[in-house]
Amino acid sequence: MEITKRVTADGVAVLLPVGKLNMVHAHRLREVVDSVLADGQNRIVVDLSSVDFLDSSGLGALIGCLKAARQANGDLRIAAATEQVKLVLQLTNLDRVLTPYASAESAYVIE
Amino acid sequence: MNNAAHTLIIDTPPDTLDSVHELLRIIWEKSPDVSAEDQIRFETALIELASNIFRHADDGGGISCLLSVEISADKIEANLRDTGQPGDIQLTGVEMPDAYSESGRGIALINALVDEFIYAREGEQNVWRILRKRTQ
Repeated sequence: MEITKRVTADGVAVLLPVGKLNMVHAHRLREVVDSVLADGQNRIVVDLSSVDFLDSSGLGALIGCLKAARQANGDLRIAAATEQVKLVLQLTNLDRVLTPYASAESAYVIE
Repeated sequence: MNNAAHTLIIDTPPDTLDSVHELLRIIWEKSPDVSAEDQIRFETALIELASNIFRHADDGGGISCLLSVEISADKIEANLRDTGQPGDIQLTGVEMPDAYSESGRGIALINALVDEFIYAREGEQNVWRILRKRTQ
């Protein structure tokens, strides 16, 4: 799975995974988040606009990444979720811990 | 509409979940009257089930799985038959784990997406069925 990274002017790391965040690819997200945290960037947004499918393995990876970011005194937020991703979040009651923001830019706006 | 049935033999490895997504892409193309909501919910359930089979039933020698998907006027149904280890899972009454748990949501998610979810061991095979009643 291709995951690109950019850093905003405010120092937020925005990750853009492309494709299906499932059993096959979930570990890749964790690797990238671990490396971002190791670089000292602990405010992360995962832009899900190009993730057309999320399953419970992908969800587990997002939760693992969220915990890792908080352990590093930061946070991980998600943005631009597609309908399928929103459905999975809602059915698993995780939309409260992983609230989808409209865009990567708005995820850390009001602190 | 007439009933439409599609079958796929999955040998994993090397086949992956992508082959299941690809089958469904073809099915949705041929059945444009299936609502977007039904497509999303059924596909999410089927991929979750296939992941579960690939992950838990493989003793190292790979798995062969026969998948059949059938669409009729009022329901979408998938039947899977695999050669993996016996499934040792509870299908009903499974609740979502703690919000910060990193696993254990698959079965509860399938139950939330479909109207029927059945497992049986028949001879040397696992037999699974998921059925979703179509929204009208």
